[in-house]
Amino acid sequence: MKSVKHILLASLFLGLLVGCQPEPDEQKLLDELVVSTNVDEAADFSSYRTYALPTDTIGFVSDTDPNDSILFHPRSNYPRPVLQQIESNLNARGFTRVDRNDNPDIGVNVYVVNNLNLFQSVYYPNYYYPYYYGYSSFYYYPYVNTYVYNTGALVIEIIDLNDINPQNQVKVVWNAYMGDIYSTFSLIQQSTEAIDQAFVQSPYLSTGL
Amino acid sequence: MKFLIQIFLVFVAAGLNAQDFFYISWNPQIPTSETQWISDAATSSFKVGYRAFPGNSNRFSIGVDVNATTFAQYLPTETFVSGNNTLTTDYFNYIYQYGFTASGQYYWPLGEGEHFFPYAGIGLGANFNEYTRYYNIYDETDNNWGFLVRPEVGMLVRFGGRRAPGILAGVHYDWSTNRSEQFNYENFSALGFQLGVVLFNR
Repeated sequence: MKSVKHILLASLFLGLLVGCQPEPDEQKLLDELVVSTNVDEAADFSSYRTYALPTDTIGFVSDTDPNDSILFHPRSNYPRPVLQQIESNLNARGFTRVDRNDNPDIGVNVYVVNNLNLFQSVYYPNYYYPYYYGYSSFYYYPYVNTYVYNTGALVIEIIDLNDINPQNQVKVVWNAYMGDIYSTFSLIQQSTEAIDQAFVQSPYLSTGL
Repeated sequence: MKFLIQIFLVFVAAGLNAQDFFYISWNPQIPTSETQWISDAATSSFKVGYRAFPGNSNRFSIGVDVNATTFAQYLPTETFVSGNNTLTTDYFNYIYQYGFTASGQYYWPLGEGEHFFPYAGIGLGANFNEYTRYYNIYDETDNNWGFLVRPEVGMLVRFGGRRAPGILAGVHYDWSTNRSEQFNYENFSALGFQLGVVLFNR
């Protein structure tokens, strides 16, 4: 009987050993957003001077809803600090903000991606952003994304408006993905810090002036 | 994994001698290879095993051992550049290690041979490592099996007579062929310490 008890005890212990896999402290894991940036190495950022940026409005793209939508102030308190942080970083690098009708050199797209799966392969996304510029679509240079899955990401794109092809398409010369914005302790603070980091790790993003 | 556990239980149920015992021990380990990936000691680590003494000998035992260890280390924010992509994050590196060995031990009873039994032994078997890198809600995982060699030395202490409970304390060195190409992890080795209780079979 003692043998049976020992066998049962050993079995229980082995089950616990195999079943338990401790994971990291969630507070430590989620206190910063992951920041990934990609650049078209052929782009010459010192040739750009002016940019256009939406005011108080960012896009919202979801693969659970075929209709893209927007987040805007004051219904959401997220767009304004995000756009202000982007503007602050671009101005600090020598760029000048102008109205979209004043022939800016670059355009800045900002949107939230909801439940988008990103793969470790060459990626060719193709988004339509109806609130911006009236261009039908834009093509991306290919890049490799290191994420397997993303539930919510803040995306910034810089588009070269001086290079438009006959199909009325423009080129993305830089983008930043920051996530996961649905698992933050302080969404706005972590988002603005991530925006700063995106520019810090992109020293080429400057007019040079 | 389940097959190996079943083998362990069959061996245990056989039972060869009144001196045979189970042990459950705390088994902290310190990695001694690839320390740029993880260098911190693992304290979330346990080992269970069975020792059978063939015939009437109290000098020689054979046994099976199973251990589960979690190695973990936090690495502060770092920037990685790969082609035209730049990634900045802090992260955790983990190794979930499971070792399965068949082993043999030789004892040198001290004094009248009733209480203190220093021993030396060696275990051979299989090692399963799961390497995981956690950053924010994301993770990357790789796992594989390898061959495990485990020399050990220690002391078995029996309280009272042959069937009384006791203590098992020892030091062992694990070396295995596990590697991860994904994380550039070439081979796995660790220095382990164990301190546990011994429960005799009958």
